[in-house]
Amino acid sequence: MDVVDQLGAVREGKLSRRAFTKGLLASGVAMATVPMGARQARAAGDQATYFTWGGYDIPELFQAYQEKNGELPNFSVFGASEEALTKMRGGFVVDVAHPCNAGMPRWVSTGLFQPIDTSRIAAFNDVIPSLVDLPGNDAENGNIWMMPFDWGQTSITYRTDLFELEGEESWDMLWDKRYGGQLGSLGSGGDAWWCGAIKAGVNFDDLDTEDAFTKIAAVMREQRPLIRVYTDDTTTLEQALSSGEMAAAMTWNSSATLLKSEGIPVKFAAPKEGALTWVCGVMIHKDAPNIDRAYDIIESMLSTETGQFMINDYGYGHSNAKSFDQFDEETLAGLGLSKNPDDILSAGHFQRPMTQEWETRMNETFEQIKAGF
Amino acid sequence: MADTSLSPAEARQGSERKKTSWLSALLYKSEALRGYLLMSPTMLILTIGIIIPFFILVAMSLWTRDGFGFDTTLTLANYARTQNEPIFNALLQRSFWISGVATVATLVVCYPMAYYVAFHVHKNKMMWIILMTLPFWTSYLLRVFAWKVILGYEGVINSGFMSLGLIEAPLEFLLYSQTAVIITLAHAWAAFAILPMYVSLEKIDKSLLEAATDLGDGPIARFLRVTLPLSMPGVIAGAFLIFIPTTGDYITPALLGGPDGAMIGNFIQLQFGPVNNWPMGATLSIVLMLWIAAIALVFLFVTKKAQDKIA
Repeated sequence: MDVVDQLGAVREGKLSRRAFTKGLLASGVAMATVPMGARQARAAGDQATYFTWGGYDIPELFQAYQEKNGELPNFSVFGASEEALTKMRGGFVVDVAHPCNAGMPRWVSTGLFQPIDTSRIAAFNDVIPSLVDLPGNDAENGNIWMMPFDWGQTSITYRTDLFELEGEESWDMLWDKRYGGQLGSLGSGGDAWWCGAIKAGVNFDDLDTEDAFTKIAAVMREQRPLIRVYTDDTTTLEQALSSGEMAAAMTWNSSATLLKSEGIPVKFAAPKEGALTWVCGVMIHKDAPNIDRAYDIIESMLSTETGQFMINDYGYGHSNAKSFDQFDEETLAGLGLSKNPDDILSAGHFQRPMTQEWETRMNETFEQIKAGF
Repeated sequence: MADTSLSPAEARQGSERKKTSWLSALLYKSEALRGYLLMSPTMLILTIGIIIPFFILVAMSLWTRDGFGFDTTLTLANYARTQNEPIFNALLQRSFWISGVATVATLVVCYPMAYYVAFHVHKNKMMWIILMTLPFWTSYLLRVFAWKVILGYEGVINSGFMSLGLIEAPLEFLLYSQTAVIITLAHAWAAFAILPMYVSLEKIDKSLLEAATDLGDGPIARFLRVTLPLSMPGVIAGAFLIFIPTTGDYITPALLGGPDGAMIGNFIQLQFGPVNNWPMGATLSIVLMLWIAAIALVFLFVTKKAQDKIA
């Protein structure tokens, strides 16, 4: 249909009824859809983007943000922090991202992030100082690179009814040949390799040695035939544990807490060798398009409401000291937490920053082992 | 030019006209130009979307990783690595094996379907074709996930068999195995086998079949000597359409493959992701491309020979 033709036909009073209704339909559709597209695009552009681990993209953590800005932030999700860094180095711009302490100095060294102005965050005085005071976290003028948010452990979640313990809880559980094909593991070297180091008895001081690589690679190779699946998707592990497909799996705190709340008989092990412990937090991208709302995200995440959800529903430690006031020591101990994070973090093996060369070599080695070599 | 003999006035007029219409005159004269002009949107997309990235890939495969960046001195070191370290060849072989089995399975399963629609459906053929391709209207990812639900530990197959009392414990080999990847690929790519096979079966002249019957061929001999050879173009097209993309498939082995079902596509993704070695990823992509090209050429050559022999 030629528009000019149609207009001419209208002027001469020759427009057929069918052509007229067709024209009406077209203009109706156009009028209905054009503002819709524009509105959506504007709304999406306006909110800050939060780039985070799967499972943190939920409204419960952003109540304060939602009240202030009317909508939730935009979420983008990653499964492993190395993957996230690669994506941002490739040009993916976000407002706020969620690394952990072991990755933070390398993230800073890419020059992709800006320091966080602590004076802009009201709740900063309540943040537990030892979580802020991490190696590599001090930027200029008392500012920091990463605002701590959550802390916890990587350990073993096991079915108390399916897994028959031999003696104490231990990392040996994930190397137990009796349960070959019924064990699961996190797929990223950022967790699995470190747990392998604990199992192999390698001190974290010596991680970057040839000897450590050989020893850890050997235990990882020994474990591989027993593993049903390596995945970065915690839901896969949780479902497998709940159906009985797996008897034990390497997970973070949240998987055990979630499964328990559904009445599944699981326990988050406290291995005798010590669990792997970590602190994660948020960093602001240097080109953050919505810088004010980036601070709103941080403020919302540090709020005590968010903190109570994190502790109660996910079983993670929170960085705001006041979040713990609602819980008694007993409840916290049951969750494997404490009001004083140092108790937990130093009891386990605390993850630490490594060089880029080490990370690359570790990931390469671990991926080859996972593929069967 | 034909207008050299015109008077000055006419020539002036002509040149004005020529100015406005030199393009159409040129187009009128040059068939090749018309062809290129018609193709130009496609060519543009092809250049921006395929040819330029391909050269970037080739260039990158000759670089090496240097911390976060690249060392841009040209070297064949990455290619040497693919030969020296067994993991690369093993993953390539596994990929070819999985997608080869998936291709054969798809063709064998889909041929009767295409055959039935081509020869035994007389009304509403289009509806049959649409019905067959209906599952492919949902996203590929959703279909892969659906297979995860079907093959899973508490999935449709296992719980069905358990309630029938056929098995005691769930079959674990169904999910997180090469079998799972093959089953899913064979289903996911079925439409790409049905359509070309249907087209070439549909084109077969029915009088040839009558002639074969008149000359004493039974149904089986008739199928083997007339129908199958004449439908080979469709079968070959289907084989290519499935084999080439599935070899580099990434999402199916990632979700359903488990530790033993990983394919070369997953390894390439790892190079661009956690392993952070883009040049190696580029090299593996090129090597995969060369291998597929080589296999395709051999396959074409063999089928050509076979067809010549039949003819």
